[in-house]
Amino acid sequence: MTDVNSPPSPTQQSSTDRDRLSISAVESVSAEIQDNVSRVIVGHEDVVEHVVIALLGRGHVLLDDVPGVGKTMLARSIARSIDCSFRRVQFTPDLLPADVTGVNVFNEKSREFEFQPGPVFGNVVLGDEINRAPPKTQSALLEAMEEGQVTVDGETRELPAPFTVIATQNAVEPNRTYDLPFAELDRFMAKLQLGYPDPAQESELLGRTIGDHPIDALEPVTTRETLVRARETVANVRVAKPIREYVTRLAGYTREHARVGVSPRGTISLLRAAQARAGTNGREYVIPDDVQLQAPVVLAHRIRTEDRDRNGDDIVSAALESVPVETDLE
Amino acid sequence: MSIDTGDSSPETSPHGRSIRLDADGTVDATTFRLFALASVLVLTASYVSVLREVTRVVGGTQSLLAIVGAALLVATVLARAIRPRTAGTLAILAGVGGFAYYFEAAGIGSRAVLGSADELLSDALTLATGLPLLQMIEAGVWTLAFAPAPVFLSWYLALRGRYALSVVPGGVALLFLVLTGDAGTTVTLVGTLGALATVGFGELTSRGGSIAQLDLLAVLFAVVIVLSLSATFVPSGPANPTTAGASDPGTLEGAIDSSPERSGIAGDVDLSPAVRFTVESERPSYWRTGVYDRFTGDEWLRSGQEEPFEGQLETPPGEFNRVEQTVQAESDLGVVPVAPEPVDLDGPIAQDATVSSHGQVHPTTTLREGERYTVESAVVLPQREPLQQAGTDYPEEITDHYLQRPEDTSSEFDERTAEITDDAETPLETAIAIEQYLRTSKEYSLEVERPTDNVAEAFLLEMEEGYCVYYATAMTQMLRAEDVPARYVSGYSTGEPVGDDTYVVRGLDAHAWVEVYFPDHGWVAFEPTPPSDRNEVHGEELEQAREDGLEDVDTPASADAAAEDPSDDGEETTDDATDEPEQPDDDETNESEPNETDDGGDDVGSPAPDDATTGDDADGLTIPVTVGRETIALAAVLLFGVVAGIHRAGMAAQVRRSVGCYWHGRRGEPDRDVVRAYRRLEWLLADEYRPRCPGESARGYLEALATEGRAAASAGAGGETSATAKAETHGDSALATDPRVRDVLEHYERAVYGGGLERAEADEAIETVDELARERLPFVGRSRFSDREHQKEPGDGV
Repeated sequence: MTDVNSPPSPTQQSSTDRDRLSISAVESVSAEIQDNVSRVIVGHEDVVEHVVIALLGRGHVLLDDVPGVGKTMLARSIARSIDCSFRRVQFTPDLLPADVTGVNVFNEKSREFEFQPGPVFGNVVLGDEINRAPPKTQSALLEAMEEGQVTVDGETRELPAPFTVIATQNAVEPNRTYDLPFAELDRFMAKLQLGYPDPAQESELLGRTIGDHPIDALEPVTTRETLVRARETVANVRVAKPIREYVTRLAGYTREHARVGVSPRGTISLLRAAQARAGTNGREYVIPDDVQLQAPVVLAHRIRTEDRDRNGDDIVSAALESVPVETDLE
Repeated sequence: MSIDTGDSSPETSPHGRSIRLDADGTVDATTFRLFALASVLVLTASYVSVLREVTRVVGGTQSLLAIVGAALLVATVLARAIRPRTAGTLAILAGVGGFAYYFEAAGIGSRAVLGSADELLSDALTLATGLPLLQMIEAGVWTLAFAPAPVFLSWYLALRGRYALSVVPGGVALLFLVLTGDAGTTVTLVGTLGALATVGFGELTSRGGSIAQLDLLAVLFAVVIVLSLSATFVPSGPANPTTAGASDPGTLEGAIDSSPERSGIAGDVDLSPAVRFTVESERPSYWRTGVYDRFTGDEWLRSGQEEPFEGQLETPPGEFNRVEQTVQAESDLGVVPVAPEPVDLDGPIAQDATVSSHGQVHPTTTLREGERYTVESAVVLPQREPLQQAGTDYPEEITDHYLQRPEDTSSEFDERTAEITDDAETPLETAIAIEQYLRTSKEYSLEVERPTDNVAEAFLLEMEEGYCVYYATAMTQMLRAEDVPARYVSGYSTGEPVGDDTYVVRGLDAHAWVEVYFPDHGWVAFEPTPPSDRNEVHGEELEQAREDGLEDVDTPASADAAAEDPSDDGEETTDDATDEPEQPDDDETNESEPNETDDGGDDVGSPAPDDATTGDDADGLTIPVTVGRETIALAAVLLFGVVAGIHRAGMAAQVRRSVGCYWHGRRGEPDRDVVRAYRRLEWLLADEYRPRCPGESARGYLEALATEGRAAASAGAGGETSATAKAETHGDSALATDPRVRDVLEHYERAVYGGGLERAEADEAIETVDELARERLPFVGRSRFSDREHQKEPGDGV
């Protein structure tokens, strides 16, 4: 049920004692990752970019789409490109929490219990069709996402760094699924849609898959450590007061115009995503455009509207249109 | 307008107007609500002030203010309690009740009113077509009846937030008073502005308006004020005495001649020697043409309406002699001179004549020269003893109307009157005491500076000299102060006897005197004007005229007068429009020596004031003052409107932008400088493309412009000439894609969002913007720019 593509990563190292990456290095690293991934994934540059941004911004991604459009392949390519361990959990209705987190197994030889880590112990974890598992199992993963750690039999274990979950959810068979609770949706930094490739892209895709699958030839373009340092750099990208105020205004707008608006967790996520986007552009400070580009994927799934005609996307685009970017600066 | 606009003003950001309106410019609705309510009060005050002017004259100011206060209070209390429909019903009930009371008081009786609705309607119509309120018999009661309904309804509606609707009752009330001519220009203007402000502020309240929208209101105000001043569409009422004085009926003879409902009091007057009419009568008498009962302080009014003359009028209650007179007009006459009291009228004018409620006959058509009529009068023969015994048992209708005094008459006036009449025990003695006092203590003069306040008061307390109008006015008011019913009458003195009971009456015989009521006797005339003094003033002329007249009968006298007329005073001839060449004979009068003849009873010489001088004088005095003040006010209003208009049109921002585009101004902190530089750049961009939308980031704006610019260019390439032209003017459309613009943008972003800039970098950005702006200077920039464009031709795409 779980499949391990690469060995679990060794013990984590704190990144604080290392030098941060320069901002231009962050820019080139992210460009290289995107480049590398695009060898496997045809098209969807924007989605790839958002995933990379989530990776740098210490967030998790929810891919909401029909099966077979390359969700898994995307996750694997990312993991392969950054030389990280990749784990996959296929969620099914009978999956148990222990199947995700791992269990203590009695070792006959040493006559003691040993912890058998579950698939959640990976740098990039793909939670496939997360909405097929019952809430109890879902929450095992979601707790790990939030806390960055897992508790089994009273013992708390740190998850490796970086730790990024790419969950997918199947939009085809809604009646045989457990919809993610709203509170848990909130934990994903971004919700993305891949969508079908356009005809040209699809034919290109078919051409590439003849013979060996390109993923097998994919080489890492960076190291796990570099990535950790890049994340550190991104976390320190400057967010000026006007930007914080702008984000606050946007959130305020959604709260005024929807039944449930964006939570403070949502605004934190938006700022992190904006920082990561500034970083991928080699900029040491966030500009409003970073916020505007990230807002739809970061905010839309956190909004509940009352009428069916307007969903979160509509609210967000309305907010972007009418909320003033700058108040008086002089 | 000291409303807090927040820290932002619309000018500070070029694209910001709409943002400011929504985000910061919105003023607390309660502020506007207060303004709207205040405006309703202004409107209310405007028409209440007109009503107060009425009660000032006829009494009842306290009741009026109490009623208005009560109406406001009730409206305030009921505003939350009852529904508009109920309030409307209440107001109608209040109105109907008030008017029922009025009709009761006017002695008409509400039942009779119901029976004759058409008369009621015609009454209202008469009022609405310009009958001043003061001419109504029960003006005071009418005022009290009129006030509560509109006050209550408008305040109620305003409190309920129905501002536009609340203007209706107040506006209707004001309009009605405008139609009656009682509301002067100023009051009307103030009321109109109040109404306008109510609607305006009301709208701002309900729509959550912003301070920026006030300027529209200000523009409206200015337009209304300027229009109202340039075109006087409001009939000027008594509130404007100078206008009344300057108009023709303001002159004494003019007033007598046309017998208007009001008789103004003028300043300097002149004489007209023209013969007006001749009377054949067995007895000499004063020939009365008008009776006035209501004194406003600066003019006399006749209350009550005219009834058509239908034979036989009421006779006085006491003894009287029937005297028949035949009057022949010697010039066009607008009056019917009669010996008081007329009881019957015969002649062609009898059909059209009307009778006032005071028993005076008035013509409705002008009497042509040579036309005759016969009057039968009941002349009360005053005898000392019976009058002394008459007592003070006055009928109610007499005390109701002939004791009226302006409410603001000073106590000093009363004290002085009391002093003068200290010894008098009966009304007759009072009247004689006053008559004697005035005759002896005041000098007769036609050159009088008109007092600005209460004329009676001024004449008694301050003035040294005056003429008949002043004497009669003062005496009437003094009698009333002593509770003796009296009235002011105007007409002509006896005139020049030319034998066989015939009298020639001239313009200079125009006169005003007093009638006092004695129970069981009726109205008795008194003459407070000193006859001797009067004769001194124009003794020569009168004496001479009399001599001439005595020789001949009226026609030759007139003929003589005609012959010598041109040699006479130029003023007099020119002044007298109706002057006929054959009439007066003054030159001889001039030549003769002064002769002191006069006899109280049949004095020929009474002043015939002619007001040409008055008019001139008034004009000379008032014009510079009014123009000065009005011009200043008008200029201020205009300025106010223009400023508001400029604000409305955003021109201040425009100017600031235009200047700002080319001139950076003082430099300060580098970051701020860069922000300002970017603003200037944005103005340039806005001029060339469009302003930035509120939701657009600086970078997003620039990128959108580049895209749109390309789209426009490709449309231009599509071949349409206008589009091509546009593309050409936007040939500098490269502005959006100009790398220098991009550079400034990045500086700006670093200044605002990044870690800030160095001085040198800021200067660089400012210089770049300066450069870009210079290139866009209307003439200089164009040529220089095209050069640059040519150089850059080979692929500088950006």
